[in-house]
Amino acid sequence: MSDDEQSEEPQAGSTTRRHALMLGAVAATAVVSIRPAMASTVGSVLNCEIPVPDAGRAGNYIAADGSLVPRNTPGAFAPSPRPFTGEQVKAAMDGRSLPGTSPQQSRAYTAYIRRLQIGQSGFTCYSSLLNTRR
Amino acid sequence: MRHQFAVRIGPVGFRIGSAWAGPIQLMRTLYADYPAPADGIADFTVRLEPGRPWRRFLRPAVEIRGDFTLPDAAPLPLAQGLLAAEMGMNLQMALGQRRYLLLHASAVERDGRALLMTGNSGAGKSTLAALLGERGWRFMGDEFALLDPFTGALHAFPRMISLKNQAIAAMEAEAPAVRFGPLMRGTPKGDIRHLRPATAAVAAMEEPARPALILFPRFGFAADERAMAPSEVFVRLTQASTNYVALGAPGFDALAALVRQVPAVAIDYPDTASAVAQVERLWAAAA
Amino acid sequence: MGPVLYRADPPEARRLVPLDALDLIFHLPSGQTHLVSEPVPQVLGALAAGPADAAEIVSRLAAAHDFDPAGAEAVIAARLEELEAIGLVWRA
Repeated sequence: MSDDEQSEEPQAGSTTRRHALMLGAVAATAVVSIRPAMASTVGSVLNCEIPVPDAGRAGNYIAADGSLVPRNTPGAFAPSPRPFTGEQVKAAMDGRSLPGTSPQQSRAYTAYIRRLQIGQSGFTCYSSLLNTRR
Repeated sequence: MRHQFAVRIGPVGFRIGSAWAGPIQLMRTLYADYPAPADGIADFTVRLEPGRPWRRFLRPAVEIRGDFTLPDAAPLPLAQGLLAAEMGMNLQMALGQRRYLLLHASAVERDGRALLMTGNSGAGKSTLAALLGERGWRFMGDEFALLDPFTGALHAFPRMISLKNQAIAAMEAEAPAVRFGPLMRGTPKGDIRHLRPATAAVAAMEEPARPALILFPRFGFAADERAMAPSEVFVRLTQASTNYVALGAPGFDALAALVRQVPAVAIDYPDTASAVAQVERLWAAAA
Repeated sequence: MGPVLYRADPPEARRLVPLDALDLIFHLPSGQTHLVSEPVPQVLGALAAGPADAAEIVSRLAAAHDFDPAGAEAVIAARLEELEAIGLVWRA
Protein backbone atom coordinates (compact mmCIF):
# COMPACT_ATOMS: atom_id res chain seq x y z
CA MET A 1 0.00 0.00 0.00
CA SER A 2 2.51 2.63 0.98
CA ASP A 3 5.61 0.53 1.67
CA ASP A 4 7.45 2.20 -1.16
CA GLU A 5 6.68 5.61 0.32
CA GLN A 6 8.04 4.75 3.71
CA SER A 7 11.56 5.38 4.78
CA GLU A 8 13.72 2.86 6.49
CA GLU A 9 14.92 4.23 9.80
CA PRO A 10 18.64 4.90 9.43
CA GLN A 11 20.24 2.13 11.47
CA ALA A 12 23.68 2.73 12.91
CA GLY A 13 26.23 0.38 11.40
CA SER A 14 24.35 -0.06 8.10
CA THR A 15 25.78 1.00 4.78
CA THR A 16 23.85 4.29 4.80
CA ARG A 17 25.89 7.02 3.19
CA ARG A 18 27.22 9.38 5.86
CA HIS A 19 25.25 12.56 6.09
CA ALA A 20 25.24 15.55 8.34
CA LEU A 21 22.89 15.17 11.29
CA MET A 22 21.23 18.19 12.86
CA LEU A 23 21.14 17.41 16.56
CA GLY A 24 19.40 20.63 17.54
CA ALA A 25 19.43 22.21 20.98
CA VAL A 26 18.89 20.47 24.29
CA ALA A 27 15.81 22.53 25.04
CA ALA A 28 14.26 22.33 21.57
CA THR A 29 11.23 20.05 21.46
CA ALA A 30 11.61 17.45 18.72
CA VAL A 31 8.31 15.61 19.09
CA VAL A 32 4.73 16.76 18.70
CA SER A 33 2.17 14.09 19.44
CA ILE A 34 -1.04 14.17 17.47
CA ARG A 35 -3.87 14.53 19.93
CA PRO A 36 -6.95 15.09 17.86
CA ALA A 37 -9.68 16.20 20.19
CA MET A 38 -12.75 14.36 18.98
CA ALA A 39 -14.77 16.82 20.98
CA SER A 40 -13.55 19.72 18.88
CA THR A 41 -15.31 18.63 15.72
CA VAL A 42 -18.28 17.15 17.50
CA GLY A 43 -18.67 20.45 19.32
CA SER A 44 -19.27 22.08 15.99
CA VAL A 45 -21.99 19.59 15.18
CA LEU A 46 -23.91 19.66 18.41
CA ASN A 47 -24.93 22.29 20.93
CA CYS A 48 -24.54 21.26 24.51
CA GLU A 49 -25.07 22.32 28.09
CA ILE A 50 -23.17 22.27 31.35
CA PRO A 51 -24.97 21.90 34.67
CA VAL A 52 -23.39 23.53 37.74
CA PRO A 53 -22.91 21.24 39.56
CA ASP A 54 -23.80 17.96 37.86
CA ALA A 55 -27.02 16.26 38.89
CA GLY A 56 -25.31 13.66 41.09
CA ARG A 57 -23.89 16.38 43.32
CA ALA A 58 -26.82 18.73 43.25
CA GLY A 59 -26.93 19.06 47.06
CA ASN A 60 -23.55 20.79 47.21
CA TYR A 61 -22.60 24.44 47.05
CA ILE A 62 -19.81 25.92 44.96
CA ALA A 63 -16.88 27.64 46.65
CA ALA A 64 -15.07 30.60 45.08
CA ASP A 65 -12.34 28.29 43.75
CA GLY A 66 -14.87 26.01 42.05
CA SER A 67 -14.69 23.12 44.50
CA LEU A 68 -17.86 21.56 45.90
CA VAL A 69 -18.58 22.21 49.57
CA PRO A 70 -21.50 21.40 51.91
CA ARG A 71 -24.51 23.67 51.62
CA ASN A 72 -24.44 26.88 53.62
CA THR A 73 -20.63 26.94 53.78
CA PRO A 74 -19.81 30.64 54.25
CA GLY A 75 -18.83 32.34 51.00
CA ALA A 76 -20.08 29.50 48.81
CA PHE A 77 -22.80 29.82 46.18
CA ALA A 78 -25.95 27.78 45.65
CA PRO A 79 -26.14 25.51 42.58
CA SER A 80 -27.41 27.04 39.38
CA PRO A 81 -31.13 26.28 38.89
CA ARG A 82 -30.61 25.52 35.20
CA PRO A 83 -27.65 24.39 33.11
CA PHE A 84 -25.64 26.85 31.04
CA THR A 85 -25.27 26.43 27.29
CA GLY A 86 -21.91 26.06 25.60
CA GLU A 87 -22.35 29.56 24.13
CA GLN A 88 -22.90 31.10 27.57
CA VAL A 89 -19.87 29.37 29.05
CA LYS A 90 -17.74 30.40 26.08
CA ALA A 91 -18.78 34.04 26.67
CA ALA A 92 -17.93 33.67 30.36
CA MET A 93 -14.46 32.38 29.45
CA ASP A 94 -14.07 35.53 27.35
CA GLY A 95 -14.85 37.73 30.34
CA ARG A 96 -18.61 38.21 30.42
CA SER A 97 -20.58 36.96 33.43
CA LEU A 98 -22.77 33.90 33.19
CA PRO A 99 -26.39 35.03 32.79
CA GLY A 100 -28.31 35.61 36.01
CA THR A 101 -25.21 35.60 38.22
CA SER A 102 -23.21 38.17 40.16
CA PRO A 103 -19.55 38.57 39.12
CA GLN A 104 -18.26 36.53 42.10
CA GLN A 105 -20.87 33.84 41.53
CA SER A 106 -19.94 33.69 37.86
CA ARG A 107 -16.26 33.33 38.75
CA ALA A 108 -17.03 30.48 41.16
CA TYR A 109 -19.17 28.70 38.55
CA THR A 110 -16.54 29.18 35.89
CA ALA A 111 -13.87 27.82 38.23
CA TYR A 112 -16.05 24.74 38.79
CA ILE A 113 -16.43 24.25 35.04
CA ARG A 114 -12.70 24.56 34.44
CA ARG A 115 -12.11 21.73 36.94
CA LEU A 116 -14.49 19.27 35.26
CA GLN A 117 -13.11 15.78 34.73
CA ILE A 118 -14.01 13.00 32.30
CA GLY A 119 -17.16 11.29 33.52
CA GLN A 120 -18.68 14.42 35.04
CA SER A 121 -21.70 15.85 33.37
CA GLY A 122 -20.68 18.76 31.16
CA PHE A 123 -17.10 17.63 30.60
CA THR A 124 -17.55 16.76 26.91
CA CYS A 125 -19.31 20.06 26.32
CA TYR A 126 -16.59 22.03 28.09
CA SER A 127 -13.71 20.30 26.32
CA SER A 128 -15.39 20.92 22.95
CA LEU A 129 -15.45 24.64 23.82
CA LEU A 130 -11.74 24.64 24.49
CA ASN A 131 -11.05 23.42 20.99
CA THR A 132 -13.66 25.28 19.00
CA ARG A 133 -12.74 28.59 17.50
CA ARG A 134 -15.19 30.82 15.71
CA MET B 1 -41.12 5.17 16.18
CA ARG B 2 -44.23 7.02 15.17
CA HIS B 3 -42.77 8.71 12.06
CA GLN B 4 -39.90 7.30 10.00
CA PHE B 5 -37.74 8.25 7.06
CA ALA B 6 -34.86 6.38 5.44
CA VAL B 7 -32.29 7.88 3.05
CA ARG B 8 -28.89 7.17 1.56
CA ILE B 9 -26.31 9.93 1.31
CA GLY B 10 -23.21 8.90 -0.60
CA PRO B 11 -22.24 5.46 0.75
CA VAL B 12 -24.07 5.86 4.08
CA GLY B 13 -27.67 4.84 4.82
CA PHE B 14 -29.67 6.49 7.62
CA ARG B 15 -32.97 5.79 9.30
CA ILE B 16 -34.54 8.73 11.09
CA GLY B 17 -37.34 8.14 13.55
CA SER B 18 -39.30 10.96 15.14
CA ALA B 19 -42.02 11.42 17.73
CA TRP B 20 -43.25 14.37 15.64
CA ALA B 21 -44.42 14.42 12.02
CA GLY B 22 -43.08 17.85 11.09
CA PRO B 23 -39.34 17.14 10.82
CA ILE B 24 -40.00 13.91 8.87
CA GLN B 25 -42.27 15.69 6.38
CA LEU B 26 -39.59 18.31 5.81
CA MET B 27 -36.95 15.67 5.27
CA ARG B 28 -39.14 13.80 2.77
CA THR B 29 -39.54 16.99 0.76
CA LEU B 30 -35.91 18.06 0.81
CA TYR B 31 -34.46 14.58 0.23
CA ALA B 32 -37.06 13.56 -2.39
CA ASP B 33 -34.45 12.86 -5.10
CA TYR B 34 -32.22 10.77 -2.86
CA PRO B 35 -32.07 6.96 -2.97
CA ALA B 36 -33.06 4.67 -0.14
CA PRO B 37 -30.37 2.86 1.88
CA ALA B 38 -28.71 0.04 -0.08
CA ASP B 39 -30.67 -3.21 0.40
CA GLY B 40 -32.91 -1.26 2.73
CA ILE B 41 -30.34 -1.53 5.52
CA ALA B 42 -29.44 1.65 7.38
CA ASP B 43 -25.90 2.10 8.68
CA PHE B 44 -27.05 4.52 11.37
CA THR B 45 -30.25 5.38 13.19
CA VAL B 46 -31.22 8.82 14.48
CA ARG B 47 -34.15 9.30 16.83
CA LEU B 48 -35.83 12.60 17.64
CA GLU B 49 -37.49 12.13 21.03
CA PRO B 50 -39.05 14.15 23.82
CA GLY B 51 -36.91 14.15 26.98
CA ARG B 52 -39.98 13.54 29.11
CA PRO B 53 -43.29 12.17 27.79
CA TRP B 54 -45.13 15.48 28.30
CA ARG B 55 -42.45 17.37 26.33
CA ARG B 56 -43.94 15.90 23.17
CA PHE B 57 -46.74 18.46 23.55
CA LEU B 58 -45.75 21.02 26.18
CA ARG B 59 -43.05 23.41 24.85
CA PRO B 60 -41.92 20.52 22.67
CA ALA B 61 -38.17 19.97 22.86
CA VAL B 62 -36.34 17.55 20.61
CA GLU B 63 -33.64 15.37 22.14
CA ILE B 64 -31.19 13.99 19.60
CA ARG B 65 -30.75 10.28 20.16
CA GLY B 66 -29.62 7.37 18.03
CA ASP B 67 -27.00 4.65 17.74
CA PHE B 68 -24.49 7.15 19.04
CA THR B 69 -25.32 9.92 21.48
CA LEU B 70 -23.34 12.59 23.20
CA PRO B 71 -23.77 13.38 26.87
CA ASP B 72 -24.54 17.02 27.70
CA ALA B 73 -26.41 17.54 24.44
CA ALA B 74 -29.06 20.25 24.80
CA PRO B 75 -32.50 19.68 23.23
CA LEU B 76 -33.74 21.90 20.41
CA PRO B 77 -37.21 23.46 20.05
CA LEU B 78 -39.52 21.60 17.66
CA ALA B 79 -39.36 24.49 15.19
CA GLN B 80 -35.70 23.49 14.70
CA GLY B 81 -36.53 19.80 14.31
CA LEU B 82 -34.98 19.63 10.84
CA LEU B 83 -31.76 21.00 12.30
CA ALA B 84 -31.95 18.35 15.03
CA ALA B 85 -32.24 15.60 12.41
CA GLU B 86 -29.25 16.97 10.47
CA MET B 87 -27.19 17.31 13.67
CA GLY B 88 -28.16 13.76 14.58
CA MET B 89 -26.85 12.46 11.27
CA ASN B 90 -23.62 14.45 11.74
CA LEU B 91 -23.24 12.94 15.18
CA GLN B 92 -23.65 9.35 13.93
CA MET B 93 -20.97 9.99 11.33
CA ALA B 94 -18.65 11.76 13.75
CA LEU B 95 -18.84 9.01 16.36
CA GLY B 96 -19.60 5.87 14.33
CA GLN B 97 -18.01 6.07 10.88
CA ARG B 98 -15.23 3.49 10.50
CA ARG B 99 -15.14 2.55 6.82
CA TYR B 100 -13.93 5.96 5.61
CA LEU B 101 -11.57 8.50 7.15
CA LEU B 102 -13.75 11.49 7.94
CA LEU B 103 -12.43 14.92 7.10
CA HIS B 104 -14.34 17.91 8.42
CA ALA B 105 -14.23 19.64 5.08
CA SER B 106 -16.38 20.67 2.17
CA ALA B 107 -15.65 19.24 -1.28
CA VAL B 108 -16.48 19.94 -4.91
CA GLU B 109 -15.44 18.03 -8.02
CA ARG B 110 -14.49 18.81 -11.60
CA ASP B 111 -13.15 16.38 -14.22
CA GLY B 112 -12.92 13.57 -11.68
CA ARG B 113 -10.70 15.61 -9.33
CA ALA B 114 -11.74 16.97 -5.96
CA LEU B 115 -11.16 20.27 -4.26
CA LEU B 116 -11.23 20.03 -0.46
CA MET B 117 -11.84 23.06 1.74
CA THR B 118 -11.32 22.86 5.47
CA GLY B 119 -10.97 25.21 8.41
CA ASN B 120 -12.67 26.52 11.50
CA SER B 121 -16.38 27.19 11.81
CA GLY B 122 -17.31 30.36 10.01
CA ALA B 123 -14.27 30.30 7.75
CA GLY B 124 -16.50 29.89 4.72
CA LYS B 125 -16.00 26.32 3.56
CA SER B 126 -19.73 25.53 3.38
CA THR B 127 -20.65 28.73 1.56
CA LEU B 128 -17.80 28.37 -0.93
CA ALA B 129 -18.75 24.79 -1.72
CA ALA B 130 -22.39 25.80 -2.17
CA LEU B 131 -21.39 28.66 -4.46
CA LEU B 132 -18.99 26.57 -6.55
CA GLY B 133 -21.78 24.01 -6.86
CA GLU B 134 -23.75 26.69 -8.74
CA ARG B 135 -20.75 27.68 -10.86
CA GLY B 136 -20.09 24.49 -12.81
CA TRP B 137 -18.59 22.31 -10.07
CA ARG B 138 -20.20 19.13 -8.74
CA PHE B 139 -21.05 19.57 -5.06
CA MET B 140 -19.76 16.63 -2.97
CA GLY B 141 -20.47 17.80 0.55
CA ASP B 142 -20.24 20.73 2.97
CA GLU B 143 -19.60 19.02 6.33
CA PHE B 144 -17.76 15.74 5.78
CA ALA B 145 -15.54 14.41 3.05
CA LEU B 146 -14.98 10.65 3.10
CA LEU B 147 -11.47 9.42 2.28
CA ASP B 148 -11.23 5.75 1.37
CA PRO B 149 -8.15 4.40 3.19
CA PHE B 150 -7.70 1.59 0.63
CA THR B 151 -7.91 3.58 -2.59
CA GLY B 152 -7.19 7.17 -1.51
CA ALA B 153 -10.34 8.25 -3.36
CA LEU B 154 -12.68 10.87 -1.96
CA HIS B 155 -16.35 9.91 -1.67
CA ALA B 156 -19.21 12.38 -1.74
CA PHE B 157 -21.53 12.97 1.19
CA PRO B 158 -23.89 15.54 -0.35
CA ARG B 159 -26.21 16.40 2.52
CA MET B 160 -28.46 19.43 2.79
CA ILE B 161 -26.10 22.39 2.83
CA SER B 162 -26.30 24.20 6.14
CA LEU B 163 -26.19 27.95 5.40
CA LYS B 164 -25.71 30.31 8.30
CA ASN B 165 -26.48 34.01 8.75
CA GLN B 166 -25.12 36.11 5.84
CA ALA B 167 -24.54 33.05 3.68
CA ILE B 168 -28.32 32.55 3.49
CA ALA B 169 -28.97 35.73 1.53
CA ALA B 170 -25.89 35.18 -0.59
CA MET B 171 -27.14 31.77 -1.75
CA GLU B 172 -30.78 32.85 -2.06
CA ALA B 173 -29.50 35.03 -4.89
CA GLU B 174 -27.85 32.03 -6.57
CA ALA B 175 -30.17 29.04 -6.25
CA PRO B 176 -33.90 28.60 -6.98
CA ALA B 177 -36.29 28.98 -4.04
CA VAL B 178 -37.64 25.43 -4.36
CA ARG B 179 -34.32 24.03 -3.17
CA PHE B 180 -34.43 25.78 0.20
CA GLY B 181 -35.75 24.47 3.51
CA PRO B 182 -37.41 26.70 6.11
CA LEU B 183 -35.55 29.63 7.64
CA MET B 184 -34.77 28.82 11.28
CA ARG B 185 -33.98 31.82 13.44
CA GLY B 186 -32.28 31.83 16.80
CA THR B 187 -30.63 28.45 16.62
CA PRO B 188 -27.46 27.84 18.67
CA LYS B 189 -25.50 28.80 15.54
CA GLY B 190 -27.60 31.82 14.57
CA ASP B 191 -29.97 31.83 11.60
CA ILE B 192 -29.86 28.65 9.54
CA ARG B 193 -31.43 27.69 6.24
CA HIS B 194 -30.83 24.41 4.42
CA LEU B 195 -30.16 24.28 0.68
CA ARG B 196 -30.65 21.10 -1.30
CA PRO B 197 -27.71 20.24 -3.59
CA ALA B 198 -28.34 20.46 -7.36
CA THR B 199 -30.05 17.44 -8.92
CA ALA B 200 -26.92 16.54 -10.88
CA ALA B 201 -24.88 16.48 -7.65
CA VAL B 202 -27.39 14.12 -6.03
CA ALA B 203 -27.46 11.88 -9.10
CA ALA B 204 -23.65 11.66 -9.09
CA MET B 205 -23.28 11.01 -5.36
CA GLU B 206 -21.78 7.55 -5.82
CA GLU B 207 -18.92 8.74 -8.06
CA PRO B 208 -15.69 9.20 -6.11
CA ALA B 209 -13.01 11.70 -7.12
CA ARG B 210 -9.24 11.95 -6.75
CA PRO B 211 -8.19 14.71 -4.28
CA ALA B 212 -6.22 17.33 -6.20
CA LEU B 213 -6.12 20.48 -4.07
CA ILE B 214 -6.67 21.33 -0.40
CA LEU B 215 -7.61 24.86 0.58
CA PHE B 216 -7.76 26.45 4.04
CA PRO B 217 -10.02 29.43 3.41
CA ARG B 218 -10.48 32.37 5.79
CA PHE B 219 -13.34 34.75 5.10
CA GLY B 220 -13.17 38.46 5.86
CA PHE B 221 -9.51 39.27 5.25
CA ALA B 222 -7.63 41.03 2.47
CA ALA B 223 -6.92 38.60 -0.37
CA ASP B 224 -3.79 36.59 0.35
CA GLU B 225 -2.47 33.10 -0.08
CA ARG B 226 0.40 30.96 1.11
CA ALA B 227 1.46 27.40 0.40
CA MET B 228 1.24 25.11 3.41
CA ALA B 229 3.87 22.53 4.33
CA PRO B 230 2.66 18.91 4.43
CA SER B 231 3.44 18.59 8.14
CA GLU B 232 1.21 21.55 8.95
CA VAL B 233 -1.56 20.19 6.71
CA PHE B 234 -1.32 16.79 8.40
CA VAL B 235 -1.76 18.26 11.88
CA ARG B 236 -4.65 20.50 10.77
CA LEU B 237 -6.42 17.56 9.09
CA THR B 238 -6.12 15.33 12.17
CA GLN B 239 -7.69 18.14 14.18
CA ALA B 240 -10.50 18.18 11.63
CA SER B 241 -11.10 14.42 11.69
CA THR B 242 -13.27 12.77 14.33
CA ASN B 243 -12.24 9.22 13.49
CA TYR B 244 -8.54 9.47 12.64
CA VAL B 245 -7.48 7.82 15.92
CA ALA B 246 -10.12 5.10 15.68
CA LEU B 247 -8.99 4.05 12.19
CA GLY B 248 -5.44 3.32 13.39
CA ALA B 249 -2.74 2.44 10.85
CA PRO B 250 -4.97 2.62 7.72
CA GLY B 251 -6.01 6.12 8.77
CA PHE B 252 -2.38 7.13 9.19
CA ASP B 253 -1.40 5.69 5.81
CA ALA B 254 -4.31 7.39 4.05
CA LEU B 255 -3.72 10.81 5.59
CA ALA B 256 0.07 10.66 5.16
CA ALA B 257 -0.39 9.78 1.49
CA LEU B 258 -2.92 12.59 1.04
CA VAL B 259 -0.65 15.31 2.42
CA ARG B 260 2.34 14.03 0.45
CA GLN B 261 0.48 13.92 -2.86
CA VAL B 262 -1.93 16.86 -2.73
CA PRO B 263 -0.84 20.52 -2.60
CA ALA B 264 -2.39 22.76 0.07
CA VAL B 265 -2.87 26.51 0.14
CA ALA B 266 -4.21 28.83 2.84
CA ILE B 267 -6.29 31.57 1.24
CA ASP B 268 -7.68 34.73 2.79
CA TYR B 269 -10.54 36.39 0.95
CA PRO B 270 -12.63 39.51 1.51
CA ASP B 271 -15.72 38.36 -0.40
CA THR B 272 -16.96 35.31 -2.26
CA ALA B 273 -16.34 36.72 -5.76
CA SER B 274 -12.68 37.11 -4.84
CA ALA B 275 -12.63 33.58 -3.41
CA VAL B 276 -14.07 32.02 -6.55
CA ALA B 277 -11.42 33.79 -8.65
CA GLN B 278 -8.64 32.56 -6.36
CA VAL B 279 -10.03 29.02 -6.43
CA GLU B 280 -10.17 28.92 -10.24
CA ARG B 281 -6.62 30.24 -10.53
CA LEU B 282 -5.17 27.83 -7.94
CA TRP B 283 -7.08 24.91 -9.48
CA ALA B 284 -5.63 25.65 -12.91
CA ALA B 285 -2.14 25.87 -11.37
CA ALA B 286 -2.58 22.49 -9.64
CA ALA B 287 -3.60 20.71 -12.85
CA MET C 1 22.98 6.17 39.98
CA GLY C 2 24.70 5.11 36.74
CA PRO C 3 23.82 6.12 33.19
CA VAL C 4 20.24 5.34 32.15
CA LEU C 5 19.82 2.56 29.60
CA TYR C 6 16.91 2.91 27.19
CA ARG C 7 15.28 0.52 24.79
CA ALA C 8 12.72 0.87 22.03
CA ASP C 9 10.42 -1.37 20.05
CA PRO C 10 12.00 -2.92 16.94
CA PRO C 11 11.72 -0.82 13.76
CA GLU C 12 8.77 -2.85 12.46
CA ALA C 13 6.66 -1.48 15.32
CA ARG C 14 6.75 1.97 13.71
CA ARG C 15 5.83 3.46 10.34
CA LEU C 16 8.03 6.38 9.34
CA VAL C 17 6.91 8.78 6.62
CA PRO C 18 9.14 11.75 5.76
CA LEU C 19 7.21 14.93 4.95
CA ASP C 20 9.29 18.10 4.90
CA ALA C 21 11.66 19.14 7.67
CA LEU C 22 9.53 16.86 9.85
CA ASP C 23 8.72 13.17 9.72
CA LEU C 24 5.62 11.29 10.77
CA ILE C 25 5.87 8.28 13.03
CA PHE C 26 2.93 5.95 13.60
CA HIS C 27 3.57 3.72 16.60
CA LEU C 28 1.60 0.51 16.00
CA PRO C 29 1.51 -0.79 19.59
CA SER C 30 -0.07 2.42 20.92
CA GLY C 31 -1.86 3.61 17.78
CA GLN C 32 -0.36 7.04 18.40
CA THR C 33 0.97 9.39 15.76
CA HIS C 34 3.88 11.75 16.33
CA LEU C 35 5.44 14.50 14.25
CA VAL C 36 9.20 14.48 14.80
CA SER C 37 12.37 16.24 13.70
CA GLU C 38 15.98 15.12 13.51
CA PRO C 39 17.59 13.40 15.35
CA VAL C 40 14.55 11.46 16.63
CA PRO C 41 14.28 8.90 13.79
CA GLN C 42 18.03 8.33 13.96
CA VAL C 43 17.92 7.82 17.76
CA LEU C 44 15.16 5.25 17.37
CA GLY C 45 17.13 3.55 14.60
CA ALA C 46 20.22 3.47 16.81
CA LEU C 47 18.28 1.56 19.48
CA ALA C 48 17.57 -1.26 17.02
CA ALA C 49 20.98 -2.70 17.91
CA GLY C 50 19.93 -3.10 21.55
CA PRO C 51 19.51 -1.06 24.74
CA ALA C 52 21.85 1.91 25.12
CA ASP C 53 22.43 5.03 27.16
CA ALA C 54 22.88 8.49 25.66
CA ALA C 55 26.66 8.16 25.30
CA GLU C 56 26.38 4.82 23.50
CA ILE C 57 23.72 6.21 21.17
CA VAL C 58 26.03 9.10 20.31
CA SER C 59 28.77 6.66 19.31
CA ARG C 60 26.32 4.52 17.30
CA LEU C 61 25.17 7.65 15.47
CA ALA C 62 28.75 8.78 14.85
CA ALA C 63 29.39 5.56 12.91
CA ALA C 64 27.04 6.71 10.12
CA HIS C 65 26.55 10.46 10.58
CA ASP C 66 28.59 13.64 10.82
CA PHE C 67 27.85 16.00 13.68
CA ASP C 68 29.57 18.17 16.27
CA PRO C 69 30.32 15.87 19.22
CA ALA C 70 30.46 18.75 21.72
CA GLY C 71 27.27 18.68 23.77
CA ALA C 72 25.86 15.79 21.70
CA GLU C 73 25.34 13.55 24.72
CA ALA C 74 23.27 16.20 26.51
CA VAL C 75 21.08 16.71 23.44
CA ILE C 76 20.55 12.98 22.96
CA ALA C 77 19.74 12.60 26.66
CA ALA C 78 17.10 15.31 26.34
CA ARG C 79 15.56 13.62 23.28
CA LEU C 80 15.48 10.29 25.10
CA GLU C 81 13.55 11.89 27.97
CA GLU C 82 11.09 13.31 25.47
CA LEU C 83 10.68 9.94 23.79
CA GLU C 84 10.21 8.27 27.15
CA ALA C 85 7.45 10.72 28.07
CA ILE C 86 5.46 9.71 24.99
CA GLY C 87 6.11 5.99 25.24
CA LEU C 88 8.41 5.46 22.25
CA VAL C 89 11.34 4.44 24.46
CA TRP C 90 11.49 3.18 28.01
CA ARG C 91 14.15 2.38 30.60
CA ALA C 92 15.74 -1.01 30.06
